[in-house]
Amino acid sequence: MSPCILTVDDSSTMRQMITFTLKSANFEVVEAGDGVEALEVAPGKKLALIITDVNMPRMDGITLVQRLRALPEFRFTPILVLTTESDASMKMKGKEAGATGWIVKPFSPEKLLEVVNKVI
Amino acid sequence: MSRWFSSSASAGPAPAAEAHPAAQDGSLRKALLRTAGREATMLESQVAFLNPELLQADNLVGEAAHTLGAALRTLDRSVQHQHHLASEVQVAMAFTIEGGPADATTPADAFNAVSTSIMGTLDGFVMSMMDISKSSMQLVAEVEDIRTRSEQMETMLGELSEIAGRTHLLSLNANIEAAHARRYGAGFAVVAGEVSKLADRSTNLSSTIQEQITGTRQALERTDSHVQAIASKDLNIAIGAKGESLKLVQALEASNQRVKELVVELEANARVIEEQVGHVVRSLQFEDLVHQTLQACLQELDNLMAQALAWRALEQRLAAGDPEAASLAALEETLEGIEATRVQFRAVKSNSLAAGDVDLF
Repeated sequence: MSPCILTVDDSSTMRQMITFTLKSANFEVVEAGDGVEALEVAPGKKLALIITDVNMPRMDGITLVQRLRALPEFRFTPILVLTTESDASMKMKGKEAGATGWIVKPFSPEKLLEVVNKVI
Repeated sequence: MSRWFSSSASAGPAPAAEAHPAAQDGSLRKALLRTAGREATMLESQVAFLNPELLQADNLVGEAAHTLGAALRTLDRSVQHQHHLASEVQVAMAFTIEGGPADATTPADAFNAVSTSIMGTLDGFVMSMMDISKSSMQLVAEVEDIRTRSEQMETMLGELSEIAGRTHLLSLNANIEAAHARRYGAGFAVVAGEVSKLADRSTNLSSTIQEQITGTRQALERTDSHVQAIASKDLNIAIGAKGESLKLVQALEASNQRVKELVVELEANARVIEEQVGHVVRSLQFEDLVHQTLQACLQELDNLMAQALAWRALEQRLAAGDPEAASLAALEETLEGIEATRVQFRAVKSNSLAAGDVDLF
């Protein structure tokens, strides 16, 4: 059974590109449009990895990471932040929230898969 | 304390009849100039914000379009090349076999031709084996015939041996009787008669044996003919089958070699396509980047509209005869509110679609 990855982004184009890339490497993919939807979708699924954007409506990615880390189910699940934000201060916030890594958009499929395979 | 209009901190309309202190000492004009100057500064800042944002959006869209166009052109060439390679694979597999079916144009036809040829060769072997079996049966029958005839000959020869012995005795008796011919002429006549009969039997047996020997020789000749036919057919079929098999193997090896080369080329072409798809995936992310950039621009345009409305409100207040200082204070408050909520950092830093950095914590 292929590992399942949750991707969270308010841009449907980004979700499509991430899903396309991951499915081409035989991963299963679950999508959510923002942090709130991600918290509805994630519980109960055996997620091997979560990839989230930062700037999203309703709940941003940093808050989502904090909320996920508070759940025992996702305490040790790798979480990658995929965002346009590249400021060191913002990266530090992500790290402090419990993110596993930080990828600045746009991503190259090859590099994304390399990082995904490294953290899974 | 307001930094927009520090000489007059009051907000809201003032009584029309009451003269503002600032108006009295000329500071109102200074305050107005200062507010106008600061507004101009904010407008410059907003334009300075909008300008790179829009340029960035323009760059991102332009680069994305250029990259997508280039990727699609390369993909188109790669797909055409892929079709060409696929056709070559078909041609390489649709080899023809000399002396065999030459109208194979697809891999399926080619393999059918090979299969038919191999089956034909195997059928030839089977038919040959059946002929060999049939000839062998005939050979066995002939050998049995020879054996029977040999046994008959042995019996006859035994009889001849007995006749020879008795003839010898009669001959002796005849000699004895001859010595007494004068006295026993009658006895000699009897012996001579017996010798005559034996001579007849011997003659008949010799004739019969001669026939048997002739039959045996003919049977042996037929056997020899059968054996030669079997040997000749076996050898010819073996040589022919070997030649056909060699041609098949050589044709298959040549086809296999070409197919291997084409598969290597197909793999290389697939890598080119994969790389171009990667470019497409990266370029299509311009939508998210440009969306965020334009969202920031729209927010700033909202600010500009709010500022314009604030200035329009000032105009209306002054036209309505509201106190200048109070009107300016209201304007100032609105402008401060706008400035306080402005997001002046650029969410999208990247000015190109080159892949961003990766940090693992």
